Amino acid sequence: MRKRDKLKIMRDILKVIKENHMHIKMTPLLRKSNLSSKRFADYRAELLQKELIEEREERKTGKQIFLTSKGMEFLEKYKAIINFVNEFEL
Amino acid sequence: MAVIEQVLFPNTFGMELIYSFVIIVCSLLVYFSTKKMYDLSKYQGIKYFRMSFLFFAIAYFFKSFISFLFLILEVHEILEFSTLFLGVLTLFFFMYASTMAIFYLLYSVVWKDLKEKRFTIPLIHILVLVISALSIAIREVKILLGLQIFIFLFIAIYNHFHIKKLKGSKKPGHLHMIYLILFVFWMLNLADLLISGFNPILEILISMVSIGLFLVILYKVVKNVGSS
Repeated sequence: MRKRDKLKIMRDILKVIKENHMHIKMTPLLRKSNLSSKRFADYRAELLQKELIEEREERKTGKQIFLTSKGMEFLEKYKAIINFVNEFEL
Repeated sequence: MAVIEQVLFPNTFGMELIYSFVIIVCSLLVYFSTKKMYDLSKYQGIKYFRMSFLFFAIAYFFKSFISFLFLILEVHEILEFSTLFLGVLTLFFFMYASTMAIFYLLYSVVWKDLKEKRFTIPLIHILVLVISALSIAIREVKILLGLQIFIFLFIAIYNHFHIKKLKGSKKPGHLHMIYLILFVFWMLNLADLLISGFNPILEILISMVSIGLFLVILYKVVKNVGSS
Protein backbone atom coordinates (compact mmCIF):
# COMPACT_ATOMS: atom_id res chain seq x y z
CA MET A 1 0.00 0.00 0.00
CA ARG A 2 1.34 3.38 -1.01
CA LYS A 3 2.45 5.56 1.88
CA ARG A 4 0.05 8.44 2.52
CA ASP A 5 1.67 11.85 2.58
CA LYS A 6 1.26 14.27 5.41
CA LEU A 7 -1.41 16.49 3.91
CA LYS A 8 -3.49 13.48 2.89
CA ILE A 9 -3.32 12.03 6.39
CA MET A 10 -4.43 15.37 7.84
CA ARG A 11 -7.28 15.43 5.35
CA ASP A 12 -8.30 11.86 6.17
CA ILE A 13 -8.43 12.59 9.90
CA LEU A 14 -10.47 15.75 9.41
CA LYS A 15 -12.78 13.96 7.01
CA VAL A 16 -13.51 11.28 9.59
CA ILE A 17 -14.49 13.98 12.11
CA LYS A 18 -16.66 15.74 9.54
CA GLU A 19 -18.45 12.54 8.59
CA ASN A 20 -19.13 11.90 12.26
CA HIS A 21 -21.25 15.05 12.58
CA MET A 22 -18.24 17.30 13.19
CA HIS A 23 -17.13 15.69 16.43
CA ILE A 24 -15.81 12.34 17.60
CA LYS A 25 -14.16 10.66 20.56
CA MET A 26 -10.45 9.89 20.54
CA THR A 27 -10.59 6.08 20.37
CA PRO A 28 -12.91 5.78 17.34
CA LEU A 29 -10.88 8.48 15.57
CA LEU A 30 -7.65 6.59 16.21
CA ARG A 31 -9.23 3.42 14.86
CA LYS A 32 -10.60 5.07 11.73
CA SER A 33 -7.41 7.02 11.00
CA ASN A 34 -5.38 3.84 10.21
CA LEU A 35 -2.40 5.16 12.11
CA SER A 36 -0.28 3.80 14.94
CA SER A 37 -0.89 5.37 18.38
CA LYS A 38 2.38 7.26 18.21
CA ARG A 39 1.75 8.71 14.76
CA PHE A 40 -1.83 9.52 15.64
CA ALA A 41 -0.63 11.39 18.74
CA ASP A 42 1.79 13.39 16.58
CA TYR A 43 -0.91 14.28 14.07
CA ARG A 44 -3.39 15.13 16.80
CA ALA A 45 -0.87 17.52 18.35
CA GLU A 46 -0.16 19.08 14.97
CA LEU A 47 -3.84 19.50 14.10
CA LEU A 48 -4.46 21.10 17.48
CA GLN A 49 -1.49 23.40 17.05
CA LYS A 50 -2.75 24.43 13.58
CA GLU A 51 -6.22 24.99 15.05
CA LEU A 52 -7.83 22.63 12.58
CA ILE A 53 -9.38 20.71 15.45
CA GLU A 54 -10.17 21.46 19.08
CA GLU A 55 -10.79 19.30 22.09
CA ARG A 56 -13.67 19.94 24.44
CA GLU A 57 -14.90 18.19 27.53
CA GLU A 58 -18.62 17.61 27.17
CA ARG A 59 -20.61 16.85 30.31
CA LYS A 60 -22.67 14.04 28.83
CA THR A 61 -20.25 12.53 26.34
CA GLY A 62 -16.84 13.29 27.85
CA LYS A 63 -13.79 14.50 25.90
CA GLN A 64 -14.48 14.95 22.22
CA ILE A 65 -12.52 16.22 19.22
CA PHE A 66 -14.31 18.87 17.20
CA LEU A 67 -13.65 20.10 13.69
CA THR A 68 -13.04 23.85 13.70
CA SER A 69 -14.12 26.28 10.98
CA LYS A 70 -10.48 26.42 9.89
CA GLY A 71 -10.47 22.62 9.67
CA MET A 72 -13.60 22.77 7.54
CA GLU A 73 -11.91 25.30 5.28
CA PHE A 74 -8.88 23.04 4.98
CA LEU A 75 -11.13 20.24 3.75
CA GLU A 76 -12.78 22.55 1.22
CA LYS A 77 -9.47 23.84 -0.10
CA TYR A 78 -7.58 20.54 0.14
CA LYS A 79 -7.80 19.73 -3.54
CA ALA A 80 -6.51 23.19 -4.52
CA ILE A 81 -3.63 22.89 -2.01
CA ILE A 82 -2.65 19.48 -3.38
CA ASN A 83 -2.87 20.69 -6.97
CA PHE A 84 -0.66 23.65 -6.11
CA VAL A 85 1.90 21.48 -4.29
CA ASN A 86 2.00 19.03 -7.22
CA GLU A 87 2.13 21.78 -9.86
CA PHE A 88 5.18 23.37 -8.24
CA GLU A 89 6.63 20.06 -6.98
CA LEU A 90 6.90 21.47 -3.47
CA MET B 1 17.82 67.35 -18.65
CA ALA B 2 20.17 64.38 -18.65
CA VAL B 3 18.20 62.91 -15.74
CA ILE B 4 14.89 63.31 -17.61
CA GLU B 5 16.40 61.68 -20.68
CA GLN B 6 17.60 58.80 -18.54
CA VAL B 7 14.12 58.32 -17.12
CA LEU B 8 12.22 58.58 -20.40
CA PHE B 9 14.38 56.83 -22.96
CA PRO B 10 14.63 53.09 -23.54
CA ASN B 11 17.39 51.00 -22.04
CA THR B 12 17.80 53.47 -19.18
CA PHE B 13 16.62 53.97 -15.66
CA GLY B 14 13.01 54.50 -16.85
CA MET B 15 12.91 51.08 -18.39
CA GLU B 16 14.67 49.55 -15.39
CA LEU B 17 11.95 51.05 -13.20
CA ILE B 18 9.09 49.62 -15.28
CA TYR B 19 10.76 46.25 -15.53
CA SER B 20 11.47 46.06 -11.79
CA PHE B 21 7.97 47.28 -10.97
CA VAL B 22 6.36 44.50 -13.02
CA ILE B 23 8.51 41.84 -11.40
CA ILE B 24 8.01 43.23 -7.89
CA VAL B 25 4.24 43.23 -8.42
CA CYS B 26 4.31 39.66 -9.82
CA SER B 27 6.43 38.45 -6.92
CA LEU B 28 4.27 40.10 -4.28
CA LEU B 29 1.12 38.75 -5.92
CA VAL B 30 2.60 35.24 -5.73
CA TYR B 31 3.52 35.81 -2.08
CA PHE B 32 0.16 37.18 -0.95
CA SER B 33 -2.09 34.97 -3.05
CA THR B 34 -0.54 31.84 -1.50
CA LYS B 35 -0.93 33.12 2.07
CA LYS B 36 -4.28 31.43 2.70
CA MET B 37 -3.02 28.13 1.37
CA TYR B 38 -0.05 28.27 3.69
CA ASP B 39 -2.12 29.43 6.70
CA LEU B 40 -4.38 26.42 6.31
CA SER B 41 -1.80 23.72 5.62
CA LYS B 42 1.41 25.12 7.18
CA TYR B 43 3.08 23.04 4.48
CA GLN B 44 6.83 23.78 4.47
CA GLY B 45 7.19 23.59 0.69
CA ILE B 46 4.63 26.36 0.27
CA LYS B 47 6.42 28.43 2.91
CA TYR B 48 9.77 28.19 1.10
CA PHE B 49 8.12 28.94 -2.25
CA ARG B 50 6.49 32.09 -0.83
CA MET B 51 9.73 33.22 0.85
CA SER B 52 11.52 32.92 -2.48
CA PHE B 53 9.16 35.37 -4.15
CA LEU B 54 9.21 37.74 -1.19
CA PHE B 55 13.00 37.87 -1.49
CA PHE B 56 12.75 38.30 -5.28
CA ALA B 57 10.53 41.36 -4.69
CA ILE B 58 13.06 42.76 -2.20
CA ALA B 59 15.99 42.00 -4.52
CA TYR B 60 14.40 43.69 -7.53
CA PHE B 61 13.47 46.67 -5.36
CA PHE B 62 17.10 47.12 -4.35
CA LYS B 63 18.24 46.48 -7.93
CA SER B 64 16.12 49.38 -9.19
CA PHE B 65 17.14 51.52 -6.21
CA ILE B 66 20.79 50.89 -7.06
CA SER B 67 20.10 51.97 -10.67
CA PHE B 68 18.41 55.11 -9.31
CA LEU B 69 21.41 55.89 -7.11
CA PHE B 70 23.74 55.33 -10.11
CA LEU B 71 21.74 58.02 -11.89
CA ILE B 72 21.48 60.50 -9.01
CA LEU B 73 25.05 60.14 -7.80
CA GLU B 74 26.39 60.02 -11.38
CA VAL B 75 28.23 56.79 -10.72
CA HIS B 76 29.11 54.52 -13.65
CA GLU B 77 30.64 51.48 -12.08
CA ILE B 78 29.83 49.15 -9.22
CA LEU B 79 33.31 49.44 -7.65
CA GLU B 80 32.96 53.20 -7.48
CA PHE B 81 29.46 52.77 -6.05
CA SER B 82 30.69 50.42 -3.34
CA THR B 83 32.96 53.11 -1.92
CA LEU B 84 29.90 55.14 -0.85
CA PHE B 85 28.05 54.31 2.38
CA LEU B 86 24.65 54.23 0.68
CA GLY B 87 26.19 52.09 -2.05
CA VAL B 88 27.54 49.60 0.46
CA LEU B 89 24.20 49.37 2.27
CA THR B 90 22.04 48.88 -0.80
CA LEU B 91 24.48 46.45 -2.41
CA PHE B 92 24.58 44.42 0.78
CA PHE B 93 20.77 44.09 0.96
CA PHE B 94 20.55 43.39 -2.77
CA MET B 95 23.11 40.60 -2.57
CA TYR B 96 21.52 39.06 0.51
CA ALA B 97 17.97 39.21 -0.90
CA SER B 98 18.92 37.91 -4.33
CA THR B 99 20.85 34.93 -2.97
CA MET B 100 18.10 34.05 -0.50
CA ALA B 101 15.50 34.24 -3.29
CA ILE B 102 17.36 31.65 -5.31
CA PHE B 103 18.12 29.53 -2.26
CA TYR B 104 14.47 29.40 -1.19
CA LEU B 105 13.27 28.56 -4.71
CA LEU B 106 15.72 25.68 -4.85
CA TYR B 107 14.91 24.61 -1.29
CA SER B 108 11.16 24.56 -1.97
CA VAL B 109 11.78 21.71 -4.42
CA VAL B 110 14.53 19.74 -2.64
CA TRP B 111 13.55 20.07 1.05
CA LYS B 112 11.64 16.80 1.04
CA ASP B 113 14.76 14.89 0.00
CA LEU B 114 16.94 16.47 2.68
CA LYS B 115 17.04 15.82 6.40
CA GLU B 116 16.22 19.29 7.60
CA LYS B 117 17.67 20.28 10.94
CA ARG B 118 16.21 23.00 13.10
CA PHE B 119 19.03 25.45 12.44
CA THR B 120 19.47 24.80 8.71
CA ILE B 121 17.60 27.87 7.51
CA PRO B 122 19.00 30.33 10.12
CA LEU B 123 22.52 29.05 9.31
CA ILE B 124 21.95 29.62 5.60
CA HIS B 125 20.79 33.18 6.34
CA ILE B 126 23.92 33.83 8.39
CA LEU B 127 26.16 32.28 5.72
CA VAL B 128 24.66 34.42 2.98
CA LEU B 129 24.87 37.56 5.13
CA VAL B 130 28.55 36.85 5.79
CA ILE B 131 29.34 36.15 2.12
CA SER B 132 27.48 39.31 1.03
CA ALA B 133 29.35 41.42 3.59
CA LEU B 134 32.65 39.78 2.64
CA SER B 135 32.23 40.31 -1.08
CA ILE B 136 31.54 44.01 -0.49
CA ALA B 137 34.33 44.39 2.07
CA ILE B 138 36.98 42.95 -0.22
CA ARG B 139 35.39 44.66 -3.25
CA GLU B 140 35.04 41.39 -5.06
CA VAL B 141 31.42 41.10 -6.17
CA LYS B 142 32.32 38.05 -8.28
CA ILE B 143 32.20 36.03 -5.05
CA LEU B 144 28.46 36.54 -5.05
CA LEU B 145 28.23 35.62 -8.71
CA GLY B 146 30.25 32.50 -7.87
CA LEU B 147 27.88 31.57 -5.04
CA GLN B 148 24.85 31.95 -7.24
CA ILE B 149 26.51 29.97 -10.06
CA PHE B 150 27.12 27.22 -7.51
CA ILE B 151 23.43 27.23 -6.55
CA PHE B 152 22.48 27.19 -10.24
CA LEU B 153 24.74 24.21 -10.95
CA PHE B 154 23.29 22.38 -7.96
CA ILE B 155 19.79 22.93 -9.37
CA ALA B 156 20.84 21.83 -12.86
CA ILE B 157 22.41 18.60 -11.55
CA TYR B 158 19.50 17.89 -9.18
CA ASN B 159 17.09 18.58 -12.03
CA HIS B 160 18.92 16.13 -14.27
CA PHE B 161 18.78 13.31 -11.72
CA HIS B 162 15.22 14.13 -10.72
CA ILE B 163 14.02 13.84 -14.33
CA LYS B 164 16.01 10.62 -14.78
CA LYS B 165 14.30 9.21 -11.69
CA LEU B 166 10.88 10.23 -12.97
CA LYS B 167 11.29 8.62 -16.41
CA GLY B 168 9.00 5.64 -16.57
CA SER B 169 7.00 6.58 -13.49
CA LYS B 170 5.44 9.88 -14.42
CA LYS B 171 6.01 12.63 -16.92
CA PRO B 172 8.25 15.36 -15.50
CA GLY B 173 6.63 18.81 -15.51
CA HIS B 174 7.92 21.92 -17.20
CA LEU B 175 8.58 23.53 -13.86
CA HIS B 176 12.21 22.53 -13.56
CA MET B 177 12.91 23.94 -16.99
CA ILE B 178 11.16 27.22 -16.06
CA TYR B 179 13.20 27.44 -12.86
CA LEU B 180 16.45 26.72 -14.70
CA ILE B 181 15.73 29.41 -17.28
CA LEU B 182 14.74 31.79 -14.48
CA PHE B 183 18.08 31.20 -12.78
CA VAL B 184 20.01 31.73 -15.99
CA PHE B 185 18.27 35.04 -16.57
CA TRP B 186 18.66 36.02 -12.95
CA MET B 187 22.42 35.43 -13.32
CA LEU B 188 22.38 37.63 -16.42
CA ASN B 189 20.48 40.29 -14.46
CA LEU B 190 23.10 40.14 -11.77
CA ALA B 191 25.94 40.30 -14.26
CA ASP B 192 24.25 43.29 -15.92
CA LEU B 193 24.26 45.15 -12.62
CA LEU B 194 27.62 44.08 -11.28
CA ILE B 195 29.68 44.11 -14.46
CA SER B 196 29.79 47.23 -16.61
CA GLY B 197 29.60 47.32 -20.41
CA PHE B 198 26.62 45.10 -21.15
CA ASN B 199 25.17 45.19 -24.65
CA PRO B 200 21.95 47.33 -24.56
CA ILE B 201 20.05 44.87 -26.77
CA LEU B 202 21.03 42.03 -24.46
CA GLU B 203 19.79 44.08 -21.49
CA ILE B 204 16.38 44.49 -23.15
CA LEU B 205 16.25 40.78 -23.95
CA ILE B 206 17.10 39.87 -20.35
CA SER B 207 14.36 42.19 -19.08
CA MET B 208 11.70 40.84 -21.45
CA VAL B 209 12.45 37.18 -20.82
CA SER B 210 12.61 37.72 -17.04
CA ILE B 211 9.22 39.44 -17.07
CA GLY B 212 7.83 36.59 -19.18
CA LEU B 213 9.08 33.95 -16.75
CA PHE B 214 7.63 35.72 -13.72
CA LEU B 215 4.32 36.14 -15.51
CA VAL B 216 4.26 32.41 -16.34
CA ILE B 217 4.85 31.52 -12.69
CA LEU B 218 2.23 34.05 -11.55
CA TYR B 219 -0.26 32.60 -14.02
CA LYS B 220 0.34 29.07 -12.69
CA VAL B 221 -0.09 30.27 -9.10
CA VAL B 222 -3.28 32.21 -9.80
CA LYS B 223 -4.69 29.30 -11.81
CA ASN B 224 -4.29 26.99 -8.82
CA VAL B 225 -5.25 29.46 -6.12
CA GLY B 226 -8.22 30.66 -8.13
CA SER B 227 -9.58 27.14 -8.47
CA SER B 228 -9.97 26.86 -4.66
